[in-house]
Amino acid sequence: MLLGLLFALPGVFVLVKALQFGGALGDTLVEALDPLWRTVLLATSVAATAAVIGTGLAWTLVRTNVPGRRVLQVLAVLPLGLPSFVGAAAFIAALAPGGILHGVLEAVGFEGPFRARGFWPSWFVLSLATYPYVLLPVAARLRALRPSLEESARLLGRSSVGTFFAVTLPQLRASVLAGAMLVFLYTVSEFGAVQLLGFDTLTRVIFATQLTDRATSFSAAALLLLLAVVVVAAERSFHEPIRPDDRANSRLDNPPTQLGRWVVPVLFAVGSVVGLALVAPIASLSTWAVRGLADGRVDVGDLVGPAINTAIVGVFTAVVAVLAVLPLAMLIVRHRSRAGRVASVAVIGGFAVPGIVIALSLVFWSANTPLLSALYQTFPILILAYVIHFGSQALGAAETAVRAVPEGLRDSARLLSPSRFDRRRLVELPLMRPGLLSGGGLVLLSTIKELPATLLLAPLGFETLATEVWGSFEEGFYAEVGVASLVLVALSAVLTWGLVLRNQH
Amino acid sequence: MVLRMSPTALRTFALGLVLALLTGACSSSSDGDSLTLYSGRSEDLVEPLLAQFTEETGIEVEVKFAGSEELALLIEQEGDASPADVFLSQSPGAVGFLDEVGLLADLPTEILDLVPVTVRDDDNRWIGVSGRQRVLVYNPELVDPAELPASIFELTDPAWNGRLGIAPGNGSFQDFVTAMRATTGDDATGEWLAGLADNDVQQYDGNSAIVAAVGRGEVAAGLVNHYYNYRFVAEDPTHPGLNHQFGVDDPGSILIVTGIAQLASSENDEAAQSFISWLLGESAQQFFTDETFEYPLAVGSQPASVIPPADFSAVGGIDFDELGGGLAGTRELIVGAGLDG
Repeated sequence: MLLGLLFALPGVFVLVKALQFGGALGDTLVEALDPLWRTVLLATSVAATAAVIGTGLAWTLVRTNVPGRRVLQVLAVLPLGLPSFVGAAAFIAALAPGGILHGVLEAVGFEGPFRARGFWPSWFVLSLATYPYVLLPVAARLRALRPSLEESARLLGRSSVGTFFAVTLPQLRASVLAGAMLVFLYTVSEFGAVQLLGFDTLTRVIFATQLTDRATSFSAAALLLLLAVVVVAAERSFHEPIRPDDRANSRLDNPPTQLGRWVVPVLFAVGSVVGLALVAPIASLSTWAVRGLADGRVDVGDLVGPAINTAIVGVFTAVVAVLAVLPLAMLIVRHRSRAGRVASVAVIGGFAVPGIVIALSLVFWSANTPLLSALYQTFPILILAYVIHFGSQALGAAETAVRAVPEGLRDSARLLSPSRFDRRRLVELPLMRPGLLSGGGLVLLSTIKELPATLLLAPLGFETLATEVWGSFEEGFYAEVGVASLVLVALSAVLTWGLVLRNQH
Repeated sequence: MVLRMSPTALRTFALGLVLALLTGACSSSSDGDSLTLYSGRSEDLVEPLLAQFTEETGIEVEVKFAGSEELALLIEQEGDASPADVFLSQSPGAVGFLDEVGLLADLPTEILDLVPVTVRDDDNRWIGVSGRQRVLVYNPELVDPAELPASIFELTDPAWNGRLGIAPGNGSFQDFVTAMRATTGDDATGEWLAGLADNDVQQYDGNSAIVAAVGRGEVAAGLVNHYYNYRFVAEDPTHPGLNHQFGVDDPGSILIVTGIAQLASSENDEAAQSFISWLLGESAQQFFTDETFEYPLAVGSQPASVIPPADFSAVGGIDFDELGGGLAGTRELIVGAGLDG
């Protein structure tokens, strides 16, 4: 419950301010009706698209013999590490004459110029940026599922595809939904990409009026919060309470589905997704970077310090976030706690609040509580902001992790060892590991690209790769944007592989 | 540990924790020999100046970099407890906001007099250190020099249908519209904005996006601050964009200043004031014009030879008092004209 309160801090701040500035929700609603509709439209379509892409990729990369899947498993997650405004800017550049997508489109017969603006480009860029929110938890769930059901289905004559839809997918549903909801909330709170691509959502109202018309700004934020709470509560009550699986994964590897003659089309599909999500932005970024490196304007050495900072806050936040939500996940899955489910709405809803609002709310709470004010602009408060913002990503995955420990197994373990610690370490953790790592991985990748809270709450002079990218982008120094972003992607790759994927098997 | 980390990963955490405590322990203390700056202008453009300032005066500067609007909101939340001494704002709007909520200190006359009356706050709470002129950036392959307009009012002409880019949500554009309201009135300004909307004006996120779009020929021309085109040429020498200045008296050729102020909560007067006056000294003003292609504002300073001379006294800078509270009205006009404020 305390945890729920902590995560509710930004929400309370928004409501306090909305009341203080006397914003009439009704008036705002009238002005914000169109942006609200656009927000819902975009968030729903992006969530649906990401769910399909993420689930498809997860199954292909975990359960089939598609060639190069080890490498693809790392590459497929990386789009998450790229700030969405960089993704959007790179996409715009790729569509411009001389850009990689421009070339492809002209080659297949379209006539330029291509203007990236409005719903479809926003949908495209955000879908490709967010499908890892589905991919990682679903892949973790697939690894934790016992193979026997699927084997039985296949022995009984179902095809691979039939088995997937009849047997596997129902078991994945909670993970897919949880991932899709993260995507929905991410899109709702997203600002950088929709701003660049000119799609007028609710966050743009919050930002456009933040100095000039504060009543509207905070009412719009309250509206967004309301939307998030409704959606999260709906998702939470839509499916049955999540229960632990009856039996554990036998730790026997599922035999991969042999793709046979499908290998070429599947590889092509996976390749196009990863290509569009990763190769196209990287091509644009490289063009910028090469220019800067060629004439010596950009010194990669300057990025070592920020890169180390980025890695430290990312890993640290990931661990703290997973540890913070794990008890809540146990409460929800094992004890079906009502209070736990209410708290989870607060935790997950926090993800829909734009980062700047979370940052300002912590400044507000710091200024008004002695304990927090001592920590103001220190590392702990920055981590707290990250955990509040991204705890939701760890929660879904932590629930998946807790599910993987069957109740029967816990009972047996209780007979064998009196030490709760030993039981956790020896019996439960190995089974929870894929889920916990995927949650930590999501938090890690979100943290290393986070901007508003980092800029406002970090100790003075604390720089990360994302702040470097942002500073250069603001001033139009694209060479530096290119180099720093590529370092960020490389760092994401190293951390994802080294800390998450390598340990999941 | 829960995640069963390798020893190396564990050591990284331990290191992170130690670093965390260290950074926490030695932040925020401002005595006479140090200064805390909140800068809305990015590190690349500010860090060289700070290094030189510290070298010359021995005063260490600690900086927080973020967007000007975000920093203004941050300072407002921090209130009296703000660690910041000085705020450097990219736009008059953000520093004007803090003036309005009463968080800025009065500046002494000797500092105010370093710049002409036209580029400082009427309440003496902040002053301009450098400026960017509003111009029309155009692609010479798509615009005949003969059709370049002398006034922004010509841009609602059908000849410009679909060929012009603007950034109506951008701070500089809004500052310019606010100034235009002050000089030509709300009705004429609103009509002009509606005329642009009717003329299929193309909307972008900001100055850089417009200059890039002009460069690749997506639009023929765009309303921007002058220095972005110089940066694009520096980034990519094949960038074709050129700047066109509107007439001296035209509302379109207004100057947008970078403003600086000391916070009311700062008890570090000496360091803060010496920093502000140093930014208006010869070497800093030269840096602004040589490195960022801006107009220096100190009395007697000269712009770099690559940027065309501009006569600001005729434009009168911006009527700063209009900017703070006036921005809400500006946004209403922009949105009312059917553009994305």
